[in-house]
Amino acid sequence: MMRCRIFGVGGSAAFLLAGLLFPLPAFAVQVHAEPEGLYVHQMAHAFFAFSMGILIYWLRERRLTAHKGWRRLQYAALFFILWNVDTFINHHLEARGDLFEIATPGVFTAWISPNPGVEWVALVFYVTKMDHLLCVPAIVFLFSSLHHLLRSADGGRVEDEAS
Amino acid sequence: MILPMLPIWIIDFAGSSLMILFSFLCVHHATKLRKRDEDNIIWTYLIWVSYALVGFAISRGVGHIAKILLMMAGRRETWDILRPFSGGMNTLMFALVGSTTLFFKRVWRVYQQMAQDKAALEQAHEKLLYLNRNLEDLVAERSRELVRSETKYRRIFEASRDMIAITAGTGKLLDMNPAGKRMLGIEDGAVDQGELRLPDFFARPEDWEGLREQLQRHCYVNDAEIDLVTRDGKELSVLLSASAECEIGEKTETFHFVAKDISQRKAMQQQLLQADKLASIGQLAAGIAHEINNPLSIILGYTQLLIRDEPERSEKYADLRTIEKHARTCKIIVEDLLSFSRTTHTRKETASLHDTIDEVLNVVRHHLDLDRVNLVKEFDPDVPSLVLDRNKIKQVFMNLIMNAKQAIAKEGEIRIRTRYVPTEGTEGVVHVDVEDTGCGIQPKDLSRIFDPFFTTKSTGEGTGLGLSVSYGIVKNHGGDILVQSEPGKGSTFTVVLPVTAEDEAFS
Repeated sequence: MMRCRIFGVGGSAAFLLAGLLFPLPAFAVQVHAEPEGLYVHQMAHAFFAFSMGILIYWLRERRLTAHKGWRRLQYAALFFILWNVDTFINHHLEARGDLFEIATPGVFTAWISPNPGVEWVALVFYVTKMDHLLCVPAIVFLFSSLHHLLRSADGGRVEDEAS
Repeated sequence: MILPMLPIWIIDFAGSSLMILFSFLCVHHATKLRKRDEDNIIWTYLIWVSYALVGFAISRGVGHIAKILLMMAGRRETWDILRPFSGGMNTLMFALVGSTTLFFKRVWRVYQQMAQDKAALEQAHEKLLYLNRNLEDLVAERSRELVRSETKYRRIFEASRDMIAITAGTGKLLDMNPAGKRMLGIEDGAVDQGELRLPDFFARPEDWEGLREQLQRHCYVNDAEIDLVTRDGKELSVLLSASAECEIGEKTETFHFVAKDISQRKAMQQQLLQADKLASIGQLAAGIAHEINNPLSIILGYTQLLIRDEPERSEKYADLRTIEKHARTCKIIVEDLLSFSRTTHTRKETASLHDTIDEVLNVVRHHLDLDRVNLVKEFDPDVPSLVLDRNKIKQVFMNLIMNAKQAIAKEGEIRIRTRYVPTEGTEGVVHVDVEDTGCGIQPKDLSRIFDPFFTTKSTGEGTGLGLSVSYGIVKNHGGDILVQSEPGKGSTFTVVLPVTAEDEAFS
């Protein structure tokens, strides 16, 4: 076991004395302000996408994708990656605040009005806002994967493939 | 450009509902999967992912649906309160699904290792159980196998007709089979005392050194011809194979020897060589004898004619007599040579061998009694009548008995033994041993005693044709003469004569 000694006993005593004689303000708890939640959320999206990529790699490395159930799981992971990319872009564009104006006179009559010069970016935002078109297929593929795996497990073949 | 929000909200509402529905269906399926095999880590992972997705679908879906419903109800401020919770929960669920997936890869490796270890443990456990249940039977079976193996190899060791010996690297005898003990004249128990060394039985110490060096270098020796000396001083030739076993851990070396006695084979080879040599000499002698016989007959004839005309007391008469005497001597020698080369005419008849030998003994008995040589007869009553030239066979036994007497000089014993030896496929053979207690024959002379003109007697005592003539006569009868001799102990000449039917003999 290695012992790390930065100061000796004398050094430590001198440091403590200096602290007592010349005190400074100490900020023990940090305030978490406005954009931090968004950053964390975006990081979570990136992390989710990355983990799905790892899952695809792992499935392909073990050549499990030859089996229908595992192949469906791979598709689920792929759609989750696409969904994460989609939502990442959407959150980023929504956070900018200079692309469009949302008017909500009523639920059924709400609209988006792009600012001049950035219409195509607003259009990208509009399309990416329909993220369920990606995450619903992802979860449907996951369900389909589990369904096939369950059928194969009843036939007693999956364990061999997964081992 | 105006982009309506309604399609987005419709997709959000339907999508969120479907997300919630399918996430629960996923949990249901994953739970069923896990029930199939609760130890399978993959199903565990899928359950975690499904639960996390339920959390994600509810936090997000409920958020979206609640947002739409609250907006429709004009309760935007309520949504503003709920929104951070929905978002926070959402973030948490992504992280959970991501972490589960990343950790799963690591957990999977650990699970694989555990599964392998478990399988190995189960296998070991099964084996242990099997051994535990069947230990007694297995031990008994193994013991039986060992006993069988031990018996098999022990039988080979004990029953081998060749010597099998195990020695330490120093040559100390560790074990030897009965055949080896008999071969070397070692009494039982002498090997166990641990004082015997194999090199002590080597006729030449350098042979042992050479063997040992070769064994240490190559670990084996094949078919080395070695001369051994038995405990009672008898020399024998063996064909020896050996191998070395090196126990590096114990720092000991062991040599294994297998030795086959080839003394008889060597003797037979010698005899074959001898027979071949004698046959050549016989042909040569026959040629010379024929060439000399005619001039000798003329010399003898003319000498006898001249003698007839000379007065008996004259000097010339005495000279002619001397010529006649020496010419006759020459003629006898020539006739002996012809006998040896088997070119003389033989008159075979069915006769009793014992009677023939007795006739010879009657002639020599008085001569033997004078020198106190005891004569012992051991005649086998089963010996049948043989077809032989009695006169020539008498000449053979006369030669052998006189040689035996001369070897004894004074006081000793001559034993004449006959025995009938039946053989498969033929009518058998008769062995006649002429055994004496005389001075014996030196080993260096053994191979030459049947050579014409070879004699150990002093000049004038013998022509050296006796044994060669006897050899020729016996060969002419389809037989053989064998000799065994030990210097200082005596010799045994064995005449082997075949038993043949009369019509066969004359055919």
